[in-house]
Amino acid sequence: MFDVFAAALIEIATRPDLLGLSLTGVMVGIILGALPGVSSTMALAILLPLSYAMPTDAAMVFLIGVFSSSVFGGSISAILINIPGTPGAIVTQFDGYPMAKSGRAGEALSYALLASTVGGLLGLAILSIVAPLIASAALQFRSPEFAMAAIFGLTMLAYASPGSTFRGILVGCIGLIVGMVGFDKLTDVARFDFGTRVLQNGIDIVPLTVGIFGFAEVLINLSSTNQPITHVARINRIFPPLASLPKLIAPMMRGSLIGTFVGAIPAAGSAIAVALAYAQEQRLSKEPETFGKGAPAGIVAPEASNNACVGGALVPMMTLGVPGDTMTAVLMGALLLHGLRPGPLLFAENPQMVGTIFGSLFFAILLTLVFGFVAIAAIIQFLKMPRHILMVGIATLCIFGSFAVRNTMSDVYIMIAFGAVGFVMNKLKLPTAPLAFGLVLGPLLEENLRRSLIISRGSWSVFIDRPISLVLILLSMAALLYPLVGLYRKNRREQTGREI
Amino acid sequence: MTMLRLSRRTLFNALFVSTLALAAGPATAAGFPEKPITIVVNWPAGGGQDTAARLIADWASKRAPVPIIVSNVTGAGGANGIRAAAEAEPDGYTLGIMGSSFVARGYLNENATPLEDIDPLVFFGPDPGALEVRADTGIKTVQDYIDKLKAEPGSIINGNDAPGGSSHIVASLFESAFDVEMTKVPYQGYAPTVAAIISGEVQSATLPVHQLADQHKAGDIIILAVAAEARHFLTPDVPTFKELGFDFVAGDWRALFLPNGVPSETKTYLEKLFMETMSDPAFVEAAQKVGFMVTPMPPAETKAWIVAHDAAVYPILLDADLVTTRKK
Repeated sequence: MFDVFAAALIEIATRPDLLGLSLTGVMVGIILGALPGVSSTMALAILLPLSYAMPTDAAMVFLIGVFSSSVFGGSISAILINIPGTPGAIVTQFDGYPMAKSGRAGEALSYALLASTVGGLLGLAILSIVAPLIASAALQFRSPEFAMAAIFGLTMLAYASPGSTFRGILVGCIGLIVGMVGFDKLTDVARFDFGTRVLQNGIDIVPLTVGIFGFAEVLINLSSTNQPITHVARINRIFPPLASLPKLIAPMMRGSLIGTFVGAIPAAGSAIAVALAYAQEQRLSKEPETFGKGAPAGIVAPEASNNACVGGALVPMMTLGVPGDTMTAVLMGALLLHGLRPGPLLFAENPQMVGTIFGSLFFAILLTLVFGFVAIAAIIQFLKMPRHILMVGIATLCIFGSFAVRNTMSDVYIMIAFGAVGFVMNKLKLPTAPLAFGLVLGPLLEENLRRSLIISRGSWSVFIDRPISLVLILLSMAALLYPLVGLYRKNRREQTGREI
Repeated sequence: MTMLRLSRRTLFNALFVSTLALAAGPATAAGFPEKPITIVVNWPAGGGQDTAARLIADWASKRAPVPIIVSNVTGAGGANGIRAAAEAEPDGYTLGIMGSSFVARGYLNENATPLEDIDPLVFFGPDPGALEVRADTGIKTVQDYIDKLKAEPGSIINGNDAPGGSSHIVASLFESAFDVEMTKVPYQGYAPTVAAIISGEVQSATLPVHQLADQHKAGDIIILAVAAEARHFLTPDVPTFKELGFDFVAGDWRALFLPNGVPSETKTYLEKLFMETMSDPAFVEAAQKVGFMVTPMPPAETKAWIVAHDAAVYPILLDADLVTTRKK
């Protein structure tokens, strides 16, 4: 496999036209990704017709450049204005925005960019080495495993808001209920729509996060009359302190692995990967209370994860002919239009194309790093804009972004409603992040739990008969019981008066 | 005073007439089209409907003096996009594309658009359903499959859409045509269903041919038969149900439609534009590469097709207790 990969790398590196296309794709991808509401999928779909006229390899170089870089683009708006540019950026803002708010926007963006690069390269490495292996492993991940992974994610809610665990769980439960609005995924019957068209659409993750994070922020700013006009401090540095990096290697690695694997599971999607990666990091962190207040680990783990998803999502497309997510579905469409059918036979019949895809992704990641650093310096100037003007701009982007997801006004109303919800939650000091977790994980759990039970004909043993599912159950139980163990130890220590 | 009132009224009349003229302008004038034409797709970017629409838009743009663009209005199981096109200004600048789920949706959701509220334009092509099984089930023929279900009703787990979706309808039509019962497991669209049959979570599927043509060639999945009048160009080795002696034709299809009330000259222009585009052999070849069959039909035949589909599907939906609105 490596000779084709190497040949493709040399081919792209020595052809200015391909390099130029890759750079163009990367630049357009970052910009489109940064626009709220324009997801990576939409960016690809919009640019797909441009690639019709190109030769197949050029089309791949261009589209993969857009695909890969738009993921980082999505994080730019998440960090700078608290609005996720793409669904994969929904948790980057939990820590990215607070960091940017404290005048460290450049650092936050650099953390995101470095983690994106590491995640992207690791995802690519795994893709190129063990694609067929991962493909079959990912196929073991079926409805029961999805359901139990969602359970595992939900147990993380208990850790998601240190100091206010029960409030976190309460908000998470509201998120679960919100996830039930709209058409039932298994029976196609409308639920909780109260006969309205607006609610029949269900509540999409993007309008919800744009509302509770972006629009609520605007409302909070409006309500505080004594807000200093020159809010944003001088942006001193772009590069994060080098000493902070070694500590972040482990979070990046864990994020990348979660991202690659979740990406490889057909139809799982990066929103799930980042939610799991973030919750995981918070649980493992020695200082979980810093999460949500600008913890670098809270940025790098999801960022590594959503970029590793790119490599992961290509695995099922290239080995099984099944798109890993909607982005790879568009890529697959592009390949089909060029007369190439990705699938079980691609590696055997068309190894050059496999090499081209790997090579394109490699250059896309590198060029994103280069162009990203150039861009960061320019982008953060944007924050020097007077606060009141910035807020008007953000409010506009909130509306544009939530409309553009599905081109319906319903999503705008939902975004505004959740803006109000986010505002009230902020006043009540309720954590908002669990709402987004509940909404991502709830529908995943419901759909897969019910489907597992249809397939097992009602027998719950399906969840413990399957090894991966069983491991996930044990992990969830460990996560729930762990604080009790801690409590027990503390009690023992107090009783016996010595360290155990 | 009178003068003023008069002049005001004159002004008003003048305005009114000119507005009318403006409104009627593009419709009656031979100048159509003067601005970009939009095709509304009711499913997200990247899906089959979207791919078909973008292909049509791209090729038709070459024949039209204006660009033809695609806009995805999604949500509510596809009902949003259909409504967006059906309720658009009937000036010919907004079209929609629909698939077979349009018909079922009309009976499942009271907010969905019924057939009376749209004006079918040009038929794109059928996307025939098929019956696929995993090779490790040991089932080699349609007769094996039926025998197994007759012996043990519900013993085969079939992956399909949620009720009302195309592959669910195919599965239901199959059950009714052969008087058998499968265990139908719903998935969110084609890609997750493909993953489910490849991974072995389900044993059979009722997906369109092109979804599993490669796996059929690789030997992991056997396509038992195609539910169409003729064999599918991607799998010339697979017989149709008819060849095997079973009268069973079912599957998805796609067609362009307009809102009601588009002036007839405009409609004729669009009909000609899309009929010519879809009859172009180069277009047919491009569409075949993606796995689409192209069989363009003019408005009247398209409507007849939809009515026939409706007639075939309604009893199935009624049987499955899915008809919650517009009961006949």
